[in-house]
Amino acid sequence: MNRTRALRLSVTARIALLAIALAMATNLVLAAFLWQQIHSDAVEAVRRDTTEQSDAFLSVYRSGGMPALIAAIDDAARSSDTSLIALVIDDTGRKRSGIGPDHLSIETPRRDGFRVGALGDEEPWAGQEAGYTVRRIGAYRLVSGHLMDDWQQERRGIERALLLATALSLMFGIGGGLVVARYVGRRLNAIAAVIEGVGQGDLTKRVGSVAGGGDAFDRLSIRLDAMLDKVERLMGELRIVTDSLAHDLRSPIARLRAKTETAILVTDPVQRDVALSGLLVETDLVMRMLSTLLEITRSQSVSRNRFTTIAPAALIEEIAELYEPVAEDAGIVLTAEVEPNLPDIVMHRELMTQAITNLIDNALRHAGKSGQITLRAAFVPGTNEIRLQVEDRGSGIAEADREQALSRFGRLDSARTIPGAGLGLSLVAAVARLHGGRLELGDNAPGLIAAIVVPR
Amino acid sequence: MTRKILIVEDDTATAAYLAKGLAEAGFAVETCGDGRDGLFLASEGIFDLIIADRMLPGLDGLSMINAVRAAGVSTPALVLSALATVDDRVDGLHAGADDYLVKPFSFAELSARVEALLRRFERPQASAQTTRLGVGDLEIDLLARTVVRQGRAIPLGAREFNLLEYLARHAGQVVTRTMMLEKIWNYHFDPGSNVVDVHIGRLRRKLEDGFAQPILHTVRGAGYRLSLDA
Repeated sequence: MNRTRALRLSVTARIALLAIALAMATNLVLAAFLWQQIHSDAVEAVRRDTTEQSDAFLSVYRSGGMPALIAAIDDAARSSDTSLIALVIDDTGRKRSGIGPDHLSIETPRRDGFRVGALGDEEPWAGQEAGYTVRRIGAYRLVSGHLMDDWQQERRGIERALLLATALSLMFGIGGGLVVARYVGRRLNAIAAVIEGVGQGDLTKRVGSVAGGGDAFDRLSIRLDAMLDKVERLMGELRIVTDSLAHDLRSPIARLRAKTETAILVTDPVQRDVALSGLLVETDLVMRMLSTLLEITRSQSVSRNRFTTIAPAALIEEIAELYEPVAEDAGIVLTAEVEPNLPDIVMHRELMTQAITNLIDNALRHAGKSGQITLRAAFVPGTNEIRLQVEDRGSGIAEADREQALSRFGRLDSARTIPGAGLGLSLVAAVARLHGGRLELGDNAPGLIAAIVVPR
Repeated sequence: MTRKILIVEDDTATAAYLAKGLAEAGFAVETCGDGRDGLFLASEGIFDLIIADRMLPGLDGLSMINAVRAAGVSTPALVLSALATVDDRVDGLHAGADDYLVKPFSFAELSARVEALLRRFERPQASAQTTRLGVGDLEIDLLARTVVRQGRAIPLGAREFNLLEYLARHAGQVVTRTMMLEKIWNYHFDPGSNVVDVHIGRLRRKLEDGFAQPILHTVRGAGYRLSLDA
């Protein structure tokens, strides 16, 4: 149990951490994208300005030569544009005139074109990024461009924003992680509590379904509840079986004992024979109860390789052929009606036959004198199911009594006078369940319809 | 010649009950209480039939029979078992037993099955090649699937014919209800109602109505026997 708890905690912790990491990653990616976008906008603006300015200087140089260019640079320097860079350098990179560092730290590029980088080592140029172009004018070169201080300010702003965002995302991540972890933990705890309760023997505990829930926890809860329902039902049945077995076996065994005592005392050989065969009948009844019970228990866990593909029509007709003479002897007309074009069913032939013959035996016992039993195989309209059913015209089972009729050893009080172990219908129900179906009891007005409904 | 039967059964009361009954029926009986001894005895190949419990100390009944078969001994084997569900029975037959009987059983059921097994293994070719069976004044043509008694044709349904054929193949022997359910209908469960009796009743009416002598006899507490003598 300690291990489970540790595992549970560490799972919640992991979920919280994951939430934090996800929140941070999202924010960082967003910030990086923003940075990238602003940076390329800024560079583009500088590039445009720089190219225009350099073109202008170049045309001044072409029309008026070097003096006009220097004049134009001085002119530009007097304007309030503090970010301006415009200087004439010689081949070694030394400044001849203009605004800019005295010595360029960059290697003088051969090709024209726009570049971004730091220009020089001395103040105030050190560490300042600038966008610039280099153009050849006579023996000199013209370097013109702009310091990217706007961008640098923006960058500092973005860095601050990023720091803030990271801090915020950490906070939100922790908060969100805690919320998620609490939520997950709470739901897991609810399920764990149920499992612990069941482990300690309380089978009535349920997680309870959540209104409109369809998430993984809801599914887990629903499955768990369904499983517990089944376990509880099986345990309940088992308890009933042991109780009823003790109780219901007692009566035939008591009769057996009484009849044995009587048989011992009989002296007339003919009567003695009669008494002894009575003993055999009672013994057979006990044996049949036991084997049916076994069959029910085993049919909860029959492996699918016992199943074969069988046409419902063949099955029904075979059973009808077997039982038709029996019914006729009892003054009952047994007919089989099979809907055409029924698909084959994968089934356990013998268990299914046994189930249907159980239903017929019931019908024969309860059909009364109205004498009509119909075996029917038909589609259930509008579904994917097939009904294999036995209809009689007897007194039927009142709706309120049907559930009791389905339970093991469930014998209706009205049937106590007719011999039978009361296991028949529960075997049928077990066989129907084995085939993924169910046993339905319906009203034949008058009479009973007992239907094994199986998916096709 | 007296036929010899080996009983491998660890429950001494059942073993004694079987030995006594079979000895009274005229068999020479040997018993042993565990699977290993059973295998040792059966491997000699001197027995006409093995009756083995399924759950045995040492070696279980089905494994023992398989080991006997592996040793080249084809003595027919009847397995007794307390495992009673349909699937257990079918499993037992698939696992190498020639017949399978669920405990508790009546001695009549056992002795009918013992007779049937012995006859099946003593005359294996005869039954395969026979096209006509005759029981007293009853003649059965297995190819044309017709039945004639005292020159008079008796019309039978398909299932009735199968039933009669099975009874005729075991003429003079007791055939039990469960044997017929297994062989004719291929059901390994007890349908509860007296279905077999009803089908036999119909067959009997067709075979005996209008004839002086009964031919299909009820053996009380056991089953039925097809034979002209009572």
